[in-house]
Amino acid sequence: MIDCSQFRRALLSDPRDTSAELAAHRETCHDCAQFAQQLQRFEGRLERALRVDAPVRQVRPPVRRVFDNRGWLAIAASVLVAIVVAGGLWLAVPGSSLAADVVTHMAGEPDAWQTTDVPVPGSDLRAVLEHSHLALKPDVGVVSYAQSCVFRGHHVPHLVVQTADGPVTVMVLVHERVHMTTQFDEQGYRGVIVPVAGHGSLAVLARGEATDPKFIEQIAARVESSIIWN
Amino acid sequence: MKEQLVGNRKRARFQALCQSMRPDLLRFAFWLSRDRALAEDVVQESMIRAWKAQDSLLDEAAAKPWFLTIIRREYARTFERKRFPTVDVDELIAAEDPELSAAQDQDLAELRAALFKLPLEYREPLVLQVLMGYSTAEIARELDLSNAATLTRLFRARKRLRALCGEDTRLDPEE
Repeated sequence: MIDCSQFRRALLSDPRDTSAELAAHRETCHDCAQFAQQLQRFEGRLERALRVDAPVRQVRPPVRRVFDNRGWLAIAASVLVAIVVAGGLWLAVPGSSLAADVVTHMAGEPDAWQTTDVPVPGSDLRAVLEHSHLALKPDVGVVSYAQSCVFRGHHVPHLVVQTADGPVTVMVLVHERVHMTTQFDEQGYRGVIVPVAGHGSLAVLARGEATDPKFIEQIAARVESSIIWN
Repeated sequence: MKEQLVGNRKRARFQALCQSMRPDLLRFAFWLSRDRALAEDVVQESMIRAWKAQDSLLDEAAAKPWFLTIIRREYARTFERKRFPTVDVDELIAAEDPELSAAQDQDLAELRAALFKLPLEYREPLVLQVLMGYSTAEIARELDLSNAATLTRLFRARKRLRALCGEDTRLDPEE
């Protein structure tokens, strides 16, 4: 037969313990029955306290390229051509591979492109920005998506800003320095990468060929002026 | 063709499994780190690792401990990669204030703040037990402790938490 101290110790270790020994003691001890009741109420609150909000986000497989054997010859030939072409382009258009990486990243985040007037919760947005030591003035407009994404080995804020022409995606690339503004038009995305003095660069892109590059540049300027660099 | 279909189905199933697990994993990572942004990162990195290692999950029924082990390792890795400055608990609470005050009543907010103050060695087994529904033996296995040591930590965790919350602890046994 267990005593009161053993009963309460057992219950504090595991309030779900339903062993016969504990039940028998509870039946015969008024104080311990009261203690068990009080602890049960505490457990209910504890469980609710632990169940913090966990916003639903789509889990997507990591992007990976799979080659089969038949593809190797074609790949080898492509690589040879690519080396020649890329060698020329690398000198002519600095940052073009950065644009490709940005587009590839966007293609892996299809849910971010929804047109909506519902902003992302302020706490989520703040968390994403603070992770990169940034803040955003409210004049930037409705930010409908905010995620801290791993990009080229760094966590970068990935935001979607709603505009009159639809959603526009912004990536704040603090670790990517570019020397000049570069426009790109790849895989159905039009965008611009603009240098930000002392803070890397900003990639802004929209979907669809109809989007005017000038409009994207205007958005980029608006977002840049709204960022507070801490 | 048939192999590809089977592969696609398997991947879709695993994706659904990750999706269903994510909320609890995020909560677990949050209570480990006490930092929403870090918890998001840890879960994101863990999902990538889980995806790559999905063939090692032989039984879907064992998915929860499998994911939790990955989360714990990933969380430990963040400290190997980067040495975080020591932060005062009150600063942590202030930083996560929206999370804590998102509670419907002041009572829950206070309880969350008290949980922040609980040392990790007590907080972690408590979260595993209450939030993840682990048995004492499962917690002991995950944390590499004996059953007796696990029960002691759980006892101390509740005792301290109740005291921090201003509960009536007159009937609580001595340590």
